[in-house]
Amino acid sequence: MHGKHQESEPYEVEWEIWVENRLGIHARPAAQIMNLAAQFDATLILEKDGLQANTRELLALLALDCPQGTRLVIKASGAEAWQAAQALAGLFARKFGET
Amino acid sequence: MSEQNRILKGIPASPGIVIGRARVLSDLGDFRASYRLLFTEEEKIAEIKRFESAVDQAHADLTRLKEKIAAEFPEHTHLLELHLLILKDQMLYDEPLRFIKESNLNAEWALYRAFERVRELFNRIEDPYIKGRIQDVESVYRRLLGNLSGKSSGRYYYSSEPLILVARDLSPAETSQMAGSKVLGFITERGGKTSHTAIMAQSLEIPAVVGLDNATREIIPGDELILDGLTGRVILSPGNGVIKKYRARKQEFEAFKDAVTRSSSAPAVTLDGHPVQVLANIELPEEVQLAQKYGADGVGLYRTEFLYMRQPRMPTEAELFEDYRRVVEAMQPRQVTIRTLDIGGDKFISRLEYAPEMNPALGLRAIRFCLREQEIFRTQLRAILRASAFGQVRIMFPLISSVQEMRTARELLQAAAQELAEQDIPFDPNLPVGAMIEVPAAVTLCRVLAREADFFSIGTNDLIQYALAIDRGNKMVASMYQPLHPAVMHMIQQVVAAGREAGIPVAMCGEMAGDPLHIPILLGLGVDELSMNAMAIPVIKSVIRQFNLDEAREMAAKALDMVTVEEINDFASQKMSERFPEIFRFGSALAGIQ
Repeated sequence: MHGKHQESEPYEVEWEIWVENRLGIHARPAAQIMNLAAQFDATLILEKDGLQANTRELLALLALDCPQGTRLVIKASGAEAWQAAQALAGLFARKFGET
Repeated sequence: MSEQNRILKGIPASPGIVIGRARVLSDLGDFRASYRLLFTEEEKIAEIKRFESAVDQAHADLTRLKEKIAAEFPEHTHLLELHLLILKDQMLYDEPLRFIKESNLNAEWALYRAFERVRELFNRIEDPYIKGRIQDVESVYRRLLGNLSGKSSGRYYYSSEPLILVARDLSPAETSQMAGSKVLGFITERGGKTSHTAIMAQSLEIPAVVGLDNATREIIPGDELILDGLTGRVILSPGNGVIKKYRARKQEFEAFKDAVTRSSSAPAVTLDGHPVQVLANIELPEEVQLAQKYGADGVGLYRTEFLYMRQPRMPTEAELFEDYRRVVEAMQPRQVTIRTLDIGGDKFISRLEYAPEMNPALGLRAIRFCLREQEIFRTQLRAILRASAFGQVRIMFPLISSVQEMRTARELLQAAAQELAEQDIPFDPNLPVGAMIEVPAAVTLCRVLAREADFFSIGTNDLIQYALAIDRGNKMVASMYQPLHPAVMHMIQQVVAAGREAGIPVAMCGEMAGDPLHIPILLGLGVDELSMNAMAIPVIKSVIRQFNLDEAREMAAKALDMVTVEEINDFASQKMSERFPEIFRFGSALAGIQ
């Protein structure tokens, strides 16, 4: 659920990234993020200004309101936390394949 | 049965004429969620089942639609994929289930509450594009509510018979379902010419009339009607005579459309062998495809404001370069004319310390703004110069009103080029530099300006606004905005003459250039290049091909002798209707002008 920052959760990875694609996290990138998250045994969270969205929830990702230039933190925990975070950062870096 | 030949008038959104029977879609927007409390465990279990089967049904329906569309229009399937994801989203699936279980709510009210929460969340979103996706959530919500009501299984219109859809509103997803269906055309009460639904109808080539008030009440299901997407007219219960007339009109239009689009990529040459460049105005790199589809000879106006408006920070040189290079490479070997930033200081309030202006049209904007904020300008100039290494680029400065402005802008461009040369970054050293002529002062000074520029481009939208002192957005005076006003015609003539004298080409890139009615006179005045919305290109090319330059010159000379705009308008219309009845009747609609 899209909500407040939870101090208690221990994350194994915390990375800062920037939304670089032109249209920001609109419907298609959000769907790509969801598909990616489903492939890993990990809890993968995106955080913006203290607000969090679980990467498995489309509407929460959209509601995070991330146009181009937004600063985000990837937070990951679980068995494949590292791989999942890396893959997600890669998706952002490739600008979701937008040309 | 309605009375015969009743005419309703809406906004023409997608050209074409169809005749058929009406199917009026019930309005899912008026489905009200009912409220009921559940008292027993059994009731809850039954309610959960009911909700889940409504979701399953929606899932099956959407999947079926997706497959149906995928075969013919794969580019439209993503909307349905998005709806499938929303359908199973926690906020619209898990939440209603929780409300049923924990708050003893019936399925409809549980769904309604969940949807309202999503709506609240989206209300806080600032980015207009992302915020707009609430429409998709709403569409899924309505579909589920429809399924729960049991009265309707969503808004489907499968039919073995051809039909014309009538609805209060259609979502883009609903419109996409028309691809390859029996839907001949559609009529909606809401929407405008540039709404998503209208744009999709154009791309699917389905005739449509939008913004027709009370359509769902005035039109009775099963009524025969004529939908004229050229004029926005809808004729109810047409008599045999009217049907016959419209059948003929339909045939003529379709023949005209075929003829015009068939040859759109060939060059436009007048009957006496004089070639005219017909170019596209674009804003986004993606629009290059549209320009190519409609046969543009190049890009005559590439607006560059988008990247600056889109995000809260300034775009970097790398981002700008990336966009410009994409356009330039895609259009290669054709020419791309990039207009430098045409934006007002008021748009940058959050980033720069500018107060809102009383009269922004006369304020710190375009080249004035760039000469004030030279760092911003320098970044863009470098990006344009770098892109010039990848194809045929021209640069032009908007809102030039003095020779000094032109000189300063060129000096800054020269300085940027010098920097690049020192850094060994490639660019085109012979990049043509143009002045946009859109301020009356520039017209008065055009003979001297012509010595400072490699080409002119007349921006008619601003030039007409400033020359006639008319704000087109002001309904009280909008009708006085007249492109063929004698004052405007004489200004164009003056600019062309100055260009001739200095040996530089004169282009035109305002809306005036994309209206078939103006073309003979513009040709006759001697404008070398015309740049317009891509959709207008095929029609404009066909007008050019059917004219002799001599005839056009004669027309222009006659028009220049007239002293009132009424005379000139009548003259242009009359000449057009005599010489090219088809273009006179259909050309503007096909060019997207109303």
